[in-house]
Amino acid sequence: MNVIPIRSSCSIRVTVNGRPVELDVRPEALLLDVLRDRLQLKGAKRSCDMQVCGACTVLLDGAPVSACTFLAVEADGREIVTVEGLGTEERLDPLQEAFIDHAAVQCGFCTAGMLLTAKALLAEDPAPTRQRVVHYLRGNLCRCTGYRKIVEAILACAHER
Amino acid sequence: MSAPGPLRVVGRSVRRTDALEKVTGRARYLSDLEFPGMAHARLLRSPYPRARLLRVEVARARAHPGVHAVLTAADLTWCEPFYGPALRDRPLLATDVVRYEGDPVVAVAAVDEATAVEALDLVEVDYEELPAVMTLEEALAPGAPLVHAGEPLAGHFSDLSTLRARPGTNVCHQFDYARGRGAGGFAEAALTLEDTYTFPRVQHYSMEPHGAIAAWDAEGGLTVWASTQNPFSVRAELAKMFGLPASRIRIAVPLLGGGFGGKTYAKLEPLAAALARVAGRPVRLQASVEDAFRTVRRCSSRVRVRLGFRRDGGLVAVQCDADFDVGAYADIAPRVIQKGTYTATGPYRVPNVVLHSNAVYTNTTPGGAFRGFGVPQIVWAVESMMDIAAERLGRDPVDLRRQNLLAHGEEFARGDTPVDGKLEESLSRVAEAIRWHQAPAAGRAKGVAVMMKASVAPSVSEAIVRLHADGSASVLVSTVEMGQGARTVMAQIAAEVLAIPLARVTVVPPDTSITPYDQTTSSSRSTTMVGRAVQDAAADVVGQLLKIAAAHLGVPAGALAVDDAAIVGGQRRLGYPELLDLHFGMRGGELIGRGVVAPGRTQAPLGGSTPFWEVAMGGAEISLDEETGAIVVEAYASVADVGRCINPQQCEAQDEGAVMQGLGHTLLEEMVYEGGVLLNANLVGYRVPRAEDVPARFDSVFVENADGAGPFGAKGVGEGGLVPVSPAVGNALARLTGIRLRELPLTPERVWRALRARREAPSAAPTTRGDRPHV
Amino acid sequence: MLRPFALYRPSTVGEAAEVLVREGPDAALYAGGTEVLLILKEGLLRVRSLVDVKRIPGLDEIRRDDGHLSIGATATHRALERAPAVHAHCPIVAGVARHVANIRVRTIGTVGGNLAFADPHSDLATLFLAFDGVVRLASPSGERDLPLAEFVRGPYETARRDDEILAAVRLAPWPAGTAGAYVKFGVHERPTLGVAVALMRGAGGDAVTDARLAVGCVGPRPQRLPEAEARVRGWSLADLARHAGEVAALAARDVDAVGDLHGSAEYKREMTRVFVQRILLVAGARAAGRDPHERYPHTVIV
Repeated sequence: MNVIPIRSSCSIRVTVNGRPVELDVRPEALLLDVLRDRLQLKGAKRSCDMQVCGACTVLLDGAPVSACTFLAVEADGREIVTVEGLGTEERLDPLQEAFIDHAAVQCGFCTAGMLLTAKALLAEDPAPTRQRVVHYLRGNLCRCTGYRKIVEAILACAHER
Repeated sequence: MSAPGPLRVVGRSVRRTDALEKVTGRARYLSDLEFPGMAHARLLRSPYPRARLLRVEVARARAHPGVHAVLTAADLTWCEPFYGPALRDRPLLATDVVRYEGDPVVAVAAVDEATAVEALDLVEVDYEELPAVMTLEEALAPGAPLVHAGEPLAGHFSDLSTLRARPGTNVCHQFDYARGRGAGGFAEAALTLEDTYTFPRVQHYSMEPHGAIAAWDAEGGLTVWASTQNPFSVRAELAKMFGLPASRIRIAVPLLGGGFGGKTYAKLEPLAAALARVAGRPVRLQASVEDAFRTVRRCSSRVRVRLGFRRDGGLVAVQCDADFDVGAYADIAPRVIQKGTYTATGPYRVPNVVLHSNAVYTNTTPGGAFRGFGVPQIVWAVESMMDIAAERLGRDPVDLRRQNLLAHGEEFARGDTPVDGKLEESLSRVAEAIRWHQAPAAGRAKGVAVMMKASVAPSVSEAIVRLHADGSASVLVSTVEMGQGARTVMAQIAAEVLAIPLARVTVVPPDTSITPYDQTTSSSRSTTMVGRAVQDAAADVVGQLLKIAAAHLGVPAGALAVDDAAIVGGQRRLGYPELLDLHFGMRGGELIGRGVVAPGRTQAPLGGSTPFWEVAMGGAEISLDEETGAIVVEAYASVADVGRCINPQQCEAQDEGAVMQGLGHTLLEEMVYEGGVLLNANLVGYRVPRAEDVPARFDSVFVENADGAGPFGAKGVGEGGLVPVSPAVGNALARLTGIRLRELPLTPERVWRALRARREAPSAAPTTRGDRPHV
Repeated sequence: MLRPFALYRPSTVGEAAEVLVREGPDAALYAGGTEVLLILKEGLLRVRSLVDVKRIPGLDEIRRDDGHLSIGATATHRALERAPAVHAHCPIVAGVARHVANIRVRTIGTVGGNLAFADPHSDLATLFLAFDGVVRLASPSGERDLPLAEFVRGPYETARRDDEILAAVRLAPWPAGTAGAYVKFGVHERPTLGVAVALMRGAGGDAVTDARLAVGCVGPRPQRLPEAEARVRGWSLADLARHAGEVAALAARDVDAVGDLHGSAEYKREMTRVFVQRILLVAGARAAGRDPHERYPHTVIV
């Protein structure tokens, strides 16, 4: 029995920031490029390109993944949230507000990844300790802020224990 | 000139003007920009550190479907193919030799990246490997292979027109400075110390790597969107290379995802422009992080310092001999060695000084500008030795430094700006912040270090402020926003002077066709220099408003005041829109104000007097896991004398980032070459600080005496915090263990080896080398 | 970016094997892609096909099976962290999985992918050796079991045959009363050193009846250290507290250490000594009903 591969193109159905999207993608297409180039969602960035820095983080069914090392075909039937799906025009997500208020944004290149990772953390653990935040952020690098204000911003969004 | 009364916007931690776009993902960086028909470029880079190019065959690549251009050096007959701000030593594409692993040889522009990669697969290059010089020792050895043969051409900076290479060697520039009796001053020294320190190769790791999009228009004009810190320098370079007047070149700069000096001076822009010309369409050349490691780095160094002290602890002589490894191409390294070496005496009073440094080529990634600009490399040595001296003199290290600090207003060097801050206050603040006089807990020790750095001079910054008919304003400056918050600061300054709400000020993105000249966004200079230009431009507008009001009201302008978007006098109040309406006789028109800050050349040793002295001090408290050698920075305090924080929270944010970047080269970061190639040109192998590396106690302190030359008494900030980190930690380590390390980073293994060496030969291991005490 | 490839999604072992055999070195196995997509991007590997094994039923299961804990090859680190069967039978595995790489790698990266890639700097491989891990390889002709120590042959080299896929790894849970601990040390992205220790005690006795000691990341592949294990047999907890250093010295002597970016061979050997001693003391304390909560820099203790 021979299995037929996906060779050139494959139709996927993804929910992106709450909206259904249907796309034809090549098997080797990376989710990051599909989001950025096909869906014009430029918030996720390519930096290290090897799952160390977190600049490309998106949420896949609520869990953080590196879009730079994730095949777009694998997103079929799943829910993706990018930074553009955090908050709305009228109302920012509390994390977004906190990042602004705490000066946790400088060049901004790490910001989308930081926000989404923090979002996933608070969904899992609404009142994390500082240690938990730092551990959860092990895979999110920042070269500008020195991290302190990012951690403060996230803790500010944590609910009282 | 500003509105009377307390400051309304300046000095307040207002929200960054770009914060919203950055947290919503709407911010646009170079790689987010797309243009119709844009082609994508890739480079073939040399796998060898030094080799002759025997054959470069690109015919099959050129014929590959979807390929728009393939360039080799042989094709670049229609432009000036060499560039470089100091020496025009860097070819667009390697000509007959490659000079470092990563040197670009072939450039391809194709319909997409995949096609470009396929095309490069079809390129054939034959190399003949040649012996390479990979270290300072190898590069300086007599008879060493020359990274560059032949005469270099001078680049476009007038202060470097006096480039002094040592012909027949790998030394491409030398810097000398002396005063007093120079080395003769050591005859007066009761204690002379001599020691040598090395500083590693480290990389900026801006999270956004370099990138440029170039497009030629139908009239032969060139536009380049570039992730660059100095668009005007890039423009000058392209004008020269492509034989265009500056007016036909437009450099537009989006937000940068970090810079730290790595994006100063032309990097990818010339290649992008050449590709675009041949491809006949816009071309984007976007580097990867791995490419960035092969584009630019910090100049590494070996610094030998001799300090001479009187018996009472006063510095009497300083001698410095520094070799800076500048990699395969000079970039701005000749200026780096000057700037770094110039303040080898630090913030101290020293009558007899002799300084010499060499910029030395090696077959490695080119060394250029990086936060601190030569000063971290020198301060690592000098501030380590200040502690050694303190120990030998039986003095407290803070006290010894205090004794030698220059006073406010005192001369640093003849012809240069006098010291513009109260250095002793900074030292007291850092001692207090690190609780210097409180004994540390068991198993811990503290160390301090200080630094002073000059900013680039001469320099020119111009600004335009346009007051629109509705009373809102646009600020036109070419300061690049790379995370430091400069656009917000400029808006705050304009809003303050114009007395209009911050929300009604827009800072226009840098674009050489629109925003006026600024030399560079680097050197911690933007708030001081560009900020002053903005202040002057806004004041110019206010002056015009006052004149209009005065004429209308029939009173002298001096009798009028600015208040909340209006000019007031007596009982009358005229809002800005009304004033413009009165002036122009219609609802329309605008007032344009101009500010130019251009102090010009002086007799100062570096050609211009520094607009301000950047002063920073650091204190570290560490613990050590002796079995593994792992250092933990338990507490760190950074003090910066900033004159005035225009935006305190953003100053703090910059300072924290600077300290963490300093912790990077102090404990973690090092580019490792083996067999001529870089082993760790990526984030798996190159370890930058993470959130878990932040000290448990971490304080940023600002000294604000409004004594700077910038707006509202501001000075520069942003580089200083990084510089004292390594000697502060090194000094703490010495105080904890008696061990003095002279190379960085202080990785666990390095510390472990030193501890073991001390254990195995305790009596034979001195804490200093080569010193001849006379006490 | 990745060069083009065909993506096969077999739904049986037979289908997977058929493609693997047909394509030979032009095909690579793919589960989470954490390793394979990275080396494809780096140009260290070129393939014409990827064979995605995630649709083969049962490959992601984590369950008790015939006295063993069976961890399916496509189970993610995240699943390992949360699986009730892990918490019930080998809880330390969940703790170690929690500290592998970062949250994103843990979300997608699979246990099988980790083991099959055989990166020397692997926490799970080291830990699983201390559980007498056995890999189950499936092919069209059936299944075979291979001790992990034989499966991992060297850096990036395993004993998997061309027509086989890694289906599961089976761990022998430690008996009740075992005091176990894992430590990883390192400054870099990947750990410099990992040590797993288990001290078994007989019912009601203070003496150590058996031990497991595995060291990984320092050499070409993780190792059990039988002489060091033998040394502690019969020791009381007091003996252990006093003589842990001897065992550590044995471990340091016997470990195969290779220098790389993470440290010289000499340093790794010495760190083996340091951390074997430290983790033995932790395990000993746990055996005595205490948890010392020792903290060392750049060190995670599970």
